[in-house]
Amino acid sequence: MLTRIREVYAYRELLGILVMRDLKLRYKNSVLGFLWSLVNPMLLMLVFTIVFTVMIPNLSVPKFPVFVMCGVLPWNFFSTAVTSSILSVSHNGHLIKKVYFPLEVLPLSTVLANFVNFCLAFIVLFGMILVFGVPITPAVSLLPVVMLIHLMFTVGISLLLSTLNVFYRDTGVIMEVLLQAWFFLTPVFYPMEMLPEWAHIAGLLLPVRRLLYMLNPMASIVASYRSILYGSTVGTAAHIPAWDFTLRTALTSAAFLAFGLWVFGRFRQRFAEEV
Amino acid sequence: MTTGLSFSHVSKRFTVQHDRARSFQDLMLRMLQRQGRHLPRESYWAVNDLSFDIKGGETVAIVGNNGSGKSTSLKLMTRILTPTRGTVDVRGRVSGLLELGAGFHPELSGRDNVYLNGALMGLKKRDIERRFDEIVAFSELERFIDVQLKFYSSGMAMRLAFSIAVSVDADILLVDEVLAVGDPAFQVKCLHKIHEIMQEGVTIVFVSHDLDAVQSLCQRAVWLDRGRMMMDGECGEVLDAYVASAQEEDQDVQIL
Ligand SMILES: Nc1ncnc2c1ncn2[C@@H]1O[C@H](COP(=O)(O)OP(=O)(O)OP(=O)(O)O)[C@@H](O)[C@H]1O
Ligand SMILES: [Mg+2]
Repeated sequence: MLTRIREVYAYRELLGILVMRDLKLRYKNSVLGFLWSLVNPMLLMLVFTIVFTVMIPNLSVPKFPVFVMCGVLPWNFFSTAVTSSILSVSHNGHLIKKVYFPLEVLPLSTVLANFVNFCLAFIVLFGMILVFGVPITPAVSLLPVVMLIHLMFTVGISLLLSTLNVFYRDTGVIMEVLLQAWFFLTPVFYPMEMLPEWAHIAGLLLPVRRLLYMLNPMASIVASYRSILYGSTVGTAAHIPAWDFTLRTALTSAAFLAFGLWVFGRFRQRFAEEV
Repeated sequence: MTTGLSFSHVSKRFTVQHDRARSFQDLMLRMLQRQGRHLPRESYWAVNDLSFDIKGGETVAIVGNNGSGKSTSLKLMTRILTPTRGTVDVRGRVSGLLELGAGFHPELSGRDNVYLNGALMGLKKRDIERRFDEIVAFSELERFIDVQLKFYSSGMAMRLAFSIAVSVDADILLVDEVLAVGDPAFQVKCLHKIHEIMQEGVTIVFVSHDLDAVQSLCQRAVWLDRGRMMMDGECGEVLDAYVASAQEEDQDVQIL
């Protein structure tokens, strides 16, 4: 696996060009197009602000629009990056069949292009945090770490699914449904504290909250963003999450990344004949 | 380091596409019908027990009928495909033109495609920058370089691809069947360029159905038939044998 990583590193310029290609194709080269990527989060912000302060004010969670945005932006990055990278290998057959290069750069560049957008969206989020008067604390310095953990997890899943889609072409269709379910199992619109600590499910007493954190790495990731940017729903200011929680989240993401690289590397040799 | 490449008992098997579930939907249907396991796995040896050794600086042609495994052999040389059996040993940097449209993106301009293609071949950005003018000049596409590639004719795309491939400074150059779409003037220019590269000591593997071009370029030829090696030797002799067998087949058909 180390040789694979080294080879990807040797082709880092290709990675850069592919990321630029993705961004260019999306924005058709225009400067205005680049600003375009801010429009989406801005619209989201507007909608949430109107819906949750005017139409159905959520009083149990203070500054609910900020709370929601802290979950929606990371989730949107994850789901669009995964959805578009599913096709990244199977749609680039014309490249794969003609030139040898480390194919890992295909899903990787798709995720990174989306990551650039995600970073830009933070401009909007910070604007919103200021407008709503959510105090910014030193905890925000952990943001790059959380983003890195998030990125590792997203790349891991993307490597897995782009491999799967080479062999089973409806992976995207199935993932669309699964991502919906996954979205509802991730505390984007509700605080984790809303879930009961324990619950009887099918006759078993289960630690629901713990299970969700354990089985769904996105839950921990969203919780981390929220903790350092927003604080908690009971009104504590933004703070650094418990170090063992962050460590566990980081290790889980690293494991997914390693597994994704391993699976991709194992099947990579068959891509040129299958796409 | 001595350059060159060798095949030792190389075979490549393709499993025929329709014998495997291509989607989860398919997979599920098959599981319901309980026939998933009973389907025969049809497979096809596109390259079968091929061994040869090409020394640095040689110019070798591969000839053979359609589907005889020429393109597959070249893909094995570039590592795009991995052999099912045997070993491929490539010594040196490989550049090549494998069929048409060498890894271009239709929505990007010619300029962006030069950078994309160069990076795909492992070139650094400044290496591409240094060669850029030379590439464009050789392709004679100055006026179209900022036009999206989807508006290029196939000959124009080939010109660009060829110009990039020969500017890479490779030790081994693979050329598969691409000159055919160029106009006569450009074909001559390409052949000249290949001659020039030959003089520099680059190893060249040339696949073409244009036997005159093969004759004029290569000293040695390998003739493949249905994935197997029929003959490997001096270019003229191999071509004569190949042409003779093709005529024989033709006569057989006429008798039938
Ligand atoms: N990805 C693939 N999957 C299945 N079969 C393949 C694949 N690629 C090639 N083949 C088969 O392998 C055989 C050899 O193909 P190849 O492209 O090497 O022929 P070729 O000698 O280059 O022919 P041509 O002169 O037409 O270019 C053909 O029968 C082809 O159908
Ligand atoms: Mg061919």
